[in-house]
Amino acid sequence: MRVRVVLAVAVLAVAVALVIDMSGRAQRTAGSNHNNPVVFAAVVPGGGVVCQADQAPPSDAAEAHLLVGTYGLPVPALELDYLSSTGEVVAAGRLPAGAIPPNVTIHLSRARGEAARACLHVGGSHKLAVGGETGPANPSTDLVDGVAAGGRFSLLYTRRGEESWWQLLTTLDTRFGLGKASMFGDWTLPVMALLLLGVWVATLRLLLRELT
Amino acid sequence: MSSHSGAVSAPAPRVTAPQRMRRAPARAWQWVRMMLARIPRAGRACFLIALVNAAIWGVVVPPFEVPDEVTHFAYAQYLAETGKPPPQTPTPQYSPQEQTALEALDFYSVIGRPQGRAIFTKAEDDVLRARLAATPSPLGTGGTSSVTNQPPLYYALAAVPYWLSPSNDILARLQFMRLLSALLAACTVLAVFLFVRELLPGWRWAPTVGALAVAFQPQVDFIAAGVQGDNLLYLTSALTMLMLLRTYKRGLTQRRAVLIGLIVAAGLLAKLTYIALVPGIALAVLLLAGRAASKDRRKALLMLATTTMVAAAPVLLYALLNVTVFHRGSPLAGGVAGATQSTVAGGQVVTLNQSIDYAWELYLPRLWFMHHAYFAKDPVWEIWFNGSIGHFGWLDYTFPAWVYSDARYLFYALAALALSALVQVRRRIMSVLPIFVCFGVMAAGLMGAIGYAGIRYKSSTGDQFEQARYLFPLLSLYAVFIVLAARGLGRRWAPALAGALVVLAMAHGLFAETLTISRYYG
Repeated sequence: MRVRVVLAVAVLAVAVALVIDMSGRAQRTAGSNHNNPVVFAAVVPGGGVVCQADQAPPSDAAEAHLLVGTYGLPVPALELDYLSSTGEVVAAGRLPAGAIPPNVTIHLSRARGEAARACLHVGGSHKLAVGGETGPANPSTDLVDGVAAGGRFSLLYTRRGEESWWQLLTTLDTRFGLGKASMFGDWTLPVMALLLLGVWVATLRLLLRELT
Repeated sequence: MSSHSGAVSAPAPRVTAPQRMRRAPARAWQWVRMMLARIPRAGRACFLIALVNAAIWGVVVPPFEVPDEVTHFAYAQYLAETGKPPPQTPTPQYSPQEQTALEALDFYSVIGRPQGRAIFTKAEDDVLRARLAATPSPLGTGGTSSVTNQPPLYYALAAVPYWLSPSNDILARLQFMRLLSALLAACTVLAVFLFVRELLPGWRWAPTVGALAVAFQPQVDFIAAGVQGDNLLYLTSALTMLMLLRTYKRGLTQRRAVLIGLIVAAGLLAKLTYIALVPGIALAVLLLAGRAASKDRRKALLMLATTTMVAAAPVLLYALLNVTVFHRGSPLAGGVAGATQSTVAGGQVVTLNQSIDYAWELYLPRLWFMHHAYFAKDPVWEIWFNGSIGHFGWLDYTFPAWVYSDARYLFYALAALALSALVQVRRRIMSVLPIFVCFGVMAAGLMGAIGYAGIRYKSSTGDQFEQARYLFPLLSLYAVFIVLAARGLGRRWAPALAGALVVLAMAHGLFAETLTISRYYG
């Protein structure tokens, strides 16, 4: 009887803790352009523009986060445009001058088409360093005012507002099936959850048998 | 009355070689069933629970995100493709296929970078499939990596699921190879179960509790999730302790002598770290032979020789093959020299005194005459304790800080309970004290080896070498600690406390999984 009570209370406590944990609301990641802001990868003069090819914001991205260096000055006005292969702006965001460096956030409009590259326009008259990665030149290397910069700036995307893990479940379900062996898919996360539930039930039954 | 009296039995029908071959699978299956039947039902249940749990972890953790999985996979793939361990040439570590997969998975922008995410959208997944569909070659050149100087047993085993995979796709093969690690982890849990059962036969609940504590340990599961040679090291270490304890309690026989030798050989061919356990094992074998010698000195010597020969022969063969067939530079493929050389990069010499100081400070408070403080934070807590609770991925994500600080209080309580239980059952412990002294020597050997290699690595690279998982060859002792803690409040409360501790371990594993899901997919 004592064991049953202890197990019941312990499992209930875990369930409550799990619900509380899953219900915590925060801004959730929508993805990135796979460049980490580990160094300042490009320096853009005031009034200049840095562009990166093969860039499309994830469909659920509401904000883009950048690391910038301003040499002790406030952040100038920034405009982030996503352009189609024909040069048409399909998504964009603006940040007024005066933001505090080094981490800045630009709110994005919803994409109206397929983007092919991202361009960050730097306002004002002072240069701005943009965080990202350096590496060998390739077609996706940044172009600062049309000249190869030897690096790629970093864009980290977040979703709109704050969400609990419950609200993110369908998105998690999709992401969980990606980037793995092709036998996996949307079914994988729920099946793993069920399997884990089965493991818990089997363990509790075993404990009840062995401890009582 | 003898059944032979009077009657002349007909000669048994002669069994031909092809018939024997046909019957072999059935006989093997019969043997497996017989062996399984000898394992208690609870042990089989623990095995299955551990297997499914580790397999789930293998799906949760994205490809190559288990520490060093990239290099372990590369070794296994090379061995599977060529039938030989890597020659360790100064060429790329990975096959073109693996290199393509790593690039397409954005592996290098994820490891070590908590904000980094791999494949997040269908479009990115399509790019990955397209790049892999271009069928880059799975055959690499076997270039030097951090694991190519290891012996080949784990990788030879991993080659089986590699070829059994129904698809040639690298990610499918990786997933099948991960199942081998899950199987090895489940076998480790079973070995732990049998170890605790052997140690404490009167405590019915104890083997289940000790085994489940290991089965749900998330750091163990994280390693079991990936293609990682440590999994075989953990299994062979757990089997070694089991066989030594069993032999100590039941006596040394020819069969046990062979089994101990086979397990030691498997350990030595699994990972060179196992060498650190050998002094303790040798001491234990001498102890066992000494006890047997009191009855029959000649037989004891024969069994001692058997263990030594069975353990040494495969290792000597491997060393010979390394030099003559595989051309891997030296008998141990440079594995021991790499971890023990005194002159490190930059010409700096690491002295024995420094090595001893470093190893001491890894586990114990620095003494007044040790002038060099090697660690900014106390490694007992920072590396071993916090690392056991969870330093996941390529050491790039952890639980919130409060988890580690609060867990210390829990550890103090468990340690006090375990100590209390030790006092209560001291008579029982005294009866196995000699073999536990040998386990202590094994543990000291392992801890010393970690320190010895650690200072050299740190002097060469400036980075920390030690990780909590390096102590996991001692998982059987961890299980004993949990069982003793459960017994700390006395016999009456032991089952209830044991149940609470197992649920705590399960919760630990569960929240480590949700943390992992949020790290890679959230």
